[in-house]
Amino acid sequence: MADGLSALHDLLVTGQSGVSGPAGVRLTEIRARTVTQFAAWSGTVAQAGAEAAKAAGVQTAPGPGQAATGANGTLLRVEPLKWWLISETEQPVMLSDELGATLDVSQSRSWLRAGGPQSARLLNHVLPIDLSERAFPERSVASTAFHHVGVTLWLDAQDFNLFLPRSFAASLCEILIETARQYGLEIT
Amino acid sequence: MTARRLDKGGRIDRSRPVSFRWDDKTYGGFGGDTLASALMANGQTILGRSFKYHRPRGIMSAGVEESGAIVSVGAGARHEPNVKATMEELYDGLEAHGQNAWPNVRFDLGSVNGLFGRFFSAGFYYKTFMGLPPFEWGRGTGIWMQYEKLIRKAAGMGTASREPDPDCYDHVHAFCDILVVGSGPAGLNAALTAAEAGRDVMLVEQDFELGGDYINDPGAEAERTALIAAVERAGVRVLTRTTAFGLYDSGVAGLVERVTDHLATPDRHLPRQRFWTVRAGATVLATGAIERSIAFGGNDRPGVMTASAARSYLNRFGVLPGKRVVIATTNDSTLDVACDLAAAGAEVVLADARDNADAPTGVKLRTGLAPLVTHGRRSVQGVTLASRSGSAWAKASREACDLLLVSGGWSPVVNLSSHRGAKPEWKADLACFLAGPTEEPIHMAGSANGIWNRSDCAASGVAAARLAMGEQAEVVAPGGWIRPIRPVYEVRVPGTKAKAFVDPQHDVTADDVHLAHQEGFVSVEHLKRYTTLGMATDQGKMGNVIGLALMAEALGREVPAVGTTRFRPPYTPVAIGALAGRNVGHHFKPLRRTPLHDWNLRHGATMTEAGLWQRPWYFAREGETITEAYIREATTVRDTVGICDVSSLGKIAVQGPDAAEFLNRVYSNAFAKLAVGRARYGIMLRDDGMVMDDGTTWRLGEADFLMTTTTTNAGRVMVWLEELLQTRWSDLRVHVTSVTDLWAGVSVAGPQARNVIAASLEDGTDISDGTLPFMGVAPVTLKGGIQGHIARISFSGELAYELYVPADHGEEMMDLLWPAAKAAGGCLYGLEALGALRIEKGHVTGAELDGRVTIDDAGLGKMASTKKPFIGSSLRQRPELTRADRPCLVGIFPKDRSQTFNGGALLCATNKATGFGEGWITAVTHSPALGHWIGLGYIAGGHEAWAGKTVTATDPVRKGDVAVEIVSPHMFDPEGARMHG
Repeated sequence: MADGLSALHDLLVTGQSGVSGPAGVRLTEIRARTVTQFAAWSGTVAQAGAEAAKAAGVQTAPGPGQAATGANGTLLRVEPLKWWLISETEQPVMLSDELGATLDVSQSRSWLRAGGPQSARLLNHVLPIDLSERAFPERSVASTAFHHVGVTLWLDAQDFNLFLPRSFAASLCEILIETARQYGLEIT
Repeated sequence: MTARRLDKGGRIDRSRPVSFRWDDKTYGGFGGDTLASALMANGQTILGRSFKYHRPRGIMSAGVEESGAIVSVGAGARHEPNVKATMEELYDGLEAHGQNAWPNVRFDLGSVNGLFGRFFSAGFYYKTFMGLPPFEWGRGTGIWMQYEKLIRKAAGMGTASREPDPDCYDHVHAFCDILVVGSGPAGLNAALTAAEAGRDVMLVEQDFELGGDYINDPGAEAERTALIAAVERAGVRVLTRTTAFGLYDSGVAGLVERVTDHLATPDRHLPRQRFWTVRAGATVLATGAIERSIAFGGNDRPGVMTASAARSYLNRFGVLPGKRVVIATTNDSTLDVACDLAAAGAEVVLADARDNADAPTGVKLRTGLAPLVTHGRRSVQGVTLASRSGSAWAKASREACDLLLVSGGWSPVVNLSSHRGAKPEWKADLACFLAGPTEEPIHMAGSANGIWNRSDCAASGVAAARLAMGEQAEVVAPGGWIRPIRPVYEVRVPGTKAKAFVDPQHDVTADDVHLAHQEGFVSVEHLKRYTTLGMATDQGKMGNVIGLALMAEALGREVPAVGTTRFRPPYTPVAIGALAGRNVGHHFKPLRRTPLHDWNLRHGATMTEAGLWQRPWYFAREGETITEAYIREATTVRDTVGICDVSSLGKIAVQGPDAAEFLNRVYSNAFAKLAVGRARYGIMLRDDGMVMDDGTTWRLGEADFLMTTTTTNAGRVMVWLEELLQTRWSDLRVHVTSVTDLWAGVSVAGPQARNVIAASLEDGTDISDGTLPFMGVAPVTLKGGIQGHIARISFSGELAYELYVPADHGEEMMDLLWPAAKAAGGCLYGLEALGALRIEKGHVTGAELDGRVTIDDAGLGKMASTKKPFIGSSLRQRPELTRADRPCLVGIFPKDRSQTFNGGALLCATNKATGFGEGWITAVTHSPALGHWIGLGYIAGGHEAWAGKTVTATDPVRKGDVAVEIVSPHMFDPEGARMHG
């Protein structure tokens, strides 16, 4: 199956806009990836987590609000009983019914990466959570709200990663782009 | 007032001349000026007209408490009324006008109101115009209702622009350990102390310069500069031009940052203002204090201002506000003012209400005196002073002056702590209210806590920061003057007629307060509402304490016994635009687009809103109306084939070994034995037995279901399922996940539907009736390897399929289906045609399932299992819900088939069009299949009860009465032969 068409295809036009000078914010859509949800039952968190960790290639599954990156991708703990595995390939790993449930949710989200010196400031225009290094260090994950829409945020070594529900993605991205222009915006 | 700009001095940037316009004339100022200081430097004395009497008003202060120089700024869509000139930073090209005056503030015909001033006392309008004698003596308010319109038209200050706001505004969230409000000696020291201790500190200053009281004292510049540098080094996040307008629960503060209001040509990408929501671990309020006036005759005359304001204009803006100055004071704070003015060359008389007072060298001291009445025509030219005579005042002497400065004492700014319920407490020895105790981590510092000495203010800032950090600290006691204040609130002698203002902004006089007392008002809350004292943008900054003191004196009580009003947010006005932020226009609510949105638009869709979704409404051909379009579309579906975007339908993955059991409990009908590869239509009820939602659920695997819901109720159902799993049935091993956004979905309906889909599939995929019968579900692969699901289900009543592919492949799916449909003579159809098709079939939607309907009312009672319990199964059997005469779903035809009728009309027995009637109409359409208008609705007893009877659809405010027939809701192909074919 080919890549298909992103919800943001006509919004994220490569280039720089906004105030003059170096761009304070860089926005990039990440396309080639799969997002697999591993959901444990309340009594199987450890075992299901171990399976998810194995799928990601990490030692242990991350705890709530945390991410862990391994050879096969990054595992985000998005809910108390749920992980998302972000990877560049489709995941053959399936939890058994006894351990939990597996679901490919790749195309339900648009993945936007926000970098640059003003990226935290930009995101705090729309996200009501503390994004300071102290409160939200690298490998942090949060389920939060953007204009009343539930979104998932993850900070990797360089950038913030925002997973927007696909149907809302264009509308929310418009707000983000308009807001980002005051800091100088580069879309890559 | 004969103000002039000095050749040197002040903090203004004389290398940066600024040109601005005031009442259509051009003037000059400097960078660092406010509009008020620049106008003062240009000799402008009358800058406003008062609210009620249209009295000329000049500059009365140098801060947010300004009650005289209230002007309009900007033009066209950016015209903003009620701007305080004292807070408006000057910029090149600024355009300002006087307001509440005609033709201008210097000559205002409205000032005729002043001639009738004695009649315009508190409550004037109501006393005079309600029950107007002799027409309505003692009864009714009919005439008042007419007068009120005129009165309201005459009232108000300034006029807002009617044009849409052209600026954009931002919302920002911020977090810190300690929020410091105010950057005077206390605020800077608090911020520095906390930041140096490693705390994350935000410092907020409403002015465009940091420093507070430092700014007005050239001798303190080195100290100010050093503190600011240390604050910056310590990593404090500083926001200037930012007002903390309110404190809220859990350490939340609301701020407004004025980003571009001071810029001549702001970058178009910058917001005009930012609305900050700050969540702070603790808050230090170093908000300063406001100097208050005294109520005496003509205390609002241009040339009368607070004493500290004069020092500000002199030392900060390099403007000497008068040559012959009388300072009327009750406290020590005016000593520096007198000293600085005298040093600048003014002739200064210090009239101190206290008997033992000092004056600086070069200042003429007169003790035991207070201002009684001012003199002058357009501005003050003299003041008559009064001396104490026992408990009263007696006229003393007259002093010539062109500037009268008044200091009746200081009111600490306790507004923000009051927002959090800290009741202000009266401090008699300081003649002011201080913030009362609070359990919240809010700490007062500096003059906001009644500390009048700068070094003590600085120490209190340090102490407040330590307390905010949870450390011990020695609290600095309020006070600091060498000689105590002698409180003076009103100066009057018998026979004085001049108005003495308590709240100049709302033209509330001392006489109004006395009148309120005479008429029996004793509560401060009632006093406020009767006299309007402390209302409008001032919110009690200038007049509250004086008003309370006068009421206390009239009642023979102490001030605390009269009480005080609690301050409410906002401290200063907040633009509506700032509250809205970017959530305006098409971003008022987040917009939801289906994966086929752009494809639909490219193919002629007119969109409509369905909740947050944008959905195709109809696909008009050139020259077609909506009616013509949907009738053509519905007809085409019945004749050949149509394709409709149904991606917005709610979709929920229900997974787990107990998923079937879960669904069996949620739905009224049985799901436990639904076979893999089959779909079933289900109804779910609320606990109270009413229908909640409906939809089909597909069994994709033993432990894998896909539930579909209505577009409207998708979120609600998802939340409901989560609640059930987390609170009632946590033992069930089931997970629910919203996958609405995962799939692009279409309905392909009509006799040619199977052929159209078959032409789009990879070779060999079989969707014949034998392989995929009605309510069958199967995985499917479209050409190009696009994998998805197909279900044979029908909302239109035709042979129909719903086809889902991953969202990113939605357009590819349409590019396969549409050519095939087009070749078959098919069409794209929207919600309007979908509605027509489903009404013909009697299929229900949210219009029918409106929360008041039982499963029996909707004609779906057979779907309520009698062999298992399910949500709502008990309460649906309540007697009231099983009555035979409950309104039931019916079809509706016009008696005269050429007629139409409206949704929302009431159904009444003929000649009994009263009350709520016998039922109502939920949906109407022209039925292409039947050739006339039809409708769905509810009527008592259902269609059998009304067989052979004519019913009236009554719609008194729109269409009037239409005779209708009640028929079965299944108005087209009731046997379902077409969809099973």
